[in-house]
Amino acid sequence: MCQNHKELEQNPSHFEESEEVVAHTDLSWESHRDLIRGMRFFDPHIHMVSRTTDDYEAMRDAGIVALIEPAFWVGQPRTGLSTFKDYFSSLVGWERFRSSQFGIKHYCTIGLNSREANNEPLAEQVMEILPLYLYKEGVVGVGEIGFDDQTAAEEKYYRLQLELAKKAKLPVQIHTPHRDKKRGTERSMAIALEHGIDPSWVIVDHNNEETVKSVLDQGFWAAFTIYPFTKMSNERMVKIVEQYGPERIMVNSAADWGISDPLAIPKTAVLMKLNGISDEAIRLVTYQNAIDAFAKSGQIDVSDFENGLTIDQSQKFNGNTILRGGQEPGAKKTNTLIIK
Amino acid sequence: MYEPIKSLLWEILTTHLTTAESEWLEKQGVAHPLELMTAFVAAPRFLSKRFVQPSPEQAAELDNLIEGFSVEGWSFVRLSRVWLLSCLDASNKEAYCRHIETLFDTAEMNELVALYSALPLLAYPEQWLFRATDAVRSNMGVVYEAIALGNPYPYHHFSELAWNQLVLKGIFNDKPLHLIYGLEERSNEKLVLTLSDFAHERWAAGRWVAPQVWRLTSKFLNETLLEDMKHLFQSDVEYDQQAAALACYHSNYEPALQLLASYPHLEKIVNNHHITWTNLEFSDLNTYVSKP
Repeated sequence: MCQNHKELEQNPSHFEESEEVVAHTDLSWESHRDLIRGMRFFDPHIHMVSRTTDDYEAMRDAGIVALIEPAFWVGQPRTGLSTFKDYFSSLVGWERFRSSQFGIKHYCTIGLNSREANNEPLAEQVMEILPLYLYKEGVVGVGEIGFDDQTAAEEKYYRLQLELAKKAKLPVQIHTPHRDKKRGTERSMAIALEHGIDPSWVIVDHNNEETVKSVLDQGFWAAFTIYPFTKMSNERMVKIVEQYGPERIMVNSAADWGISDPLAIPKTAVLMKLNGISDEAIRLVTYQNAIDAFAKSGQIDVSDFENGLTIDQSQKFNGNTILRGGQEPGAKKTNTLIIK
Repeated sequence: MYEPIKSLLWEILTTHLTTAESEWLEKQGVAHPLELMTAFVAAPRFLSKRFVQPSPEQAAELDNLIEGFSVEGWSFVRLSRVWLLSCLDASNKEAYCRHIETLFDTAEMNELVALYSALPLLAYPEQWLFRATDAVRSNMGVVYEAIALGNPYPYHHFSELAWNQLVLKGIFNDKPLHLIYGLEERSNEKLVLTLSDFAHERWAAGRWVAPQVWRLTSKFLNETLLEDMKHLFQSDVEYDQQAAALACYHSNYEPALQLLASYPHLEKIVNNHHITWTNLEFSDLNTYVSKP
């Protein structure tokens, strides 16, 4: 799993700091995937704009039937409003369509991310167009928002977006900071409560052993990101579920443009299974809890995906939905050398 | 035209919407433009996911008001959005266009579908030409379909070049061509020559071509196309043979009629109208596989 730890540190991505020493393991995904065959998974945090079609196919094969793509920092700082607009539009447009071609229902959360909240003149403009996106079909929350450097500007736009969430009756997906995480997490929760937001409408993301107890005790949802080398490993995740049980806990991959794994959820499910965690507990933390939390938006209809997404009828016209002539997205890839 | 179509759409909507849904929608239709635009976006939050089934009379009246315009199989959200757009005050051209442009700029996929479906109803139709050709360039199947199928806007406003792109893309992507309004009427020599080249590329790759494509060639058969007809007659796919027979039969090109005469059994079935183009109107082709 972790052959090249040093190199990764030169290219920090979604999570910047790595203190964890990852143990090598002989378990292989291919030889254990049958353990979770037939299970359905919901990834409530993954950045598909950074992923390939191979990922979509692998996710579908592994049982992921739906996902949430939070608006985030795309790596390169944006210089104008138009690029924000195009990005938000791609989350509700092209990426949603691309996902549907692989049989995976795509939802998103929309928000101004904390890092870019620090560019105040631009942040001001972004705030003006956010409402146009928040009311869109399939937008299941305001996110990912919260703190990065924990600056005054970050706090300002975090608060403004909490108010937007209240008005639009949407859940809030909180990104907790990489640095000074514990304090940042507490501060995020305190501010949400101060704005009168019911903690059952707030998903606090990227938790670890140090933050989980307080998040659960205060009534928030606790999300865990299984991201190679950095914040949470799936072996530690198993221990957390063993200790705290499955209630209000959910797992995600937050796979993005860094070295990350879009199969983080099914792989974690395998590991839970191997460690004797019940199927019902696995179902809750890898599927149901995320649905329950984000369905408060009124935008999730499980019948769209629970039996596998075929093709959304509303997007179908006279039986013809093919993206580009002849391609059959989602069709099983073969290992043949011949490419027709 | 504007008012009658608006009230007909409303009639179709209200036959199926619940009272609460109609009340919400009616209120939004007379709201300030920015509220109306928000309602356009938020419609799925207030309307249930169902599909429109206009009565035959309503469908006929719709076609009578705007020929080629159909709402068959639309979702109520789509129809409601189109109705809301028809409510937008068009008296100030600058403001009206700005509002529509904003909706386009920020639209998600289903909103785009509604916006393109509404083009035949919008004021200042020439303003939307670039947007309309952009929809043809889209790789989202439903967006292409919204402009190309069951929509009379391209027929009335597209240049020959833009029209040919629309048809070619439809063929390339195996769309049901017969749903393109004005398909045969706007066929042209340039398009037909491109189609012939396209067919040759496909054949060279061991693939095939939707038989309906040859429908467009009838009026323009010439020596080059005649070679294609020969190829089709010799195909072991029955649809190809039928397409060639129909294309020759409907042409006024003597050599084509002679060619047809050399296949008496095919000549007979097209003469007797046992086979017409309607028989070759497929909606679910995959011409990228080697043979049907």
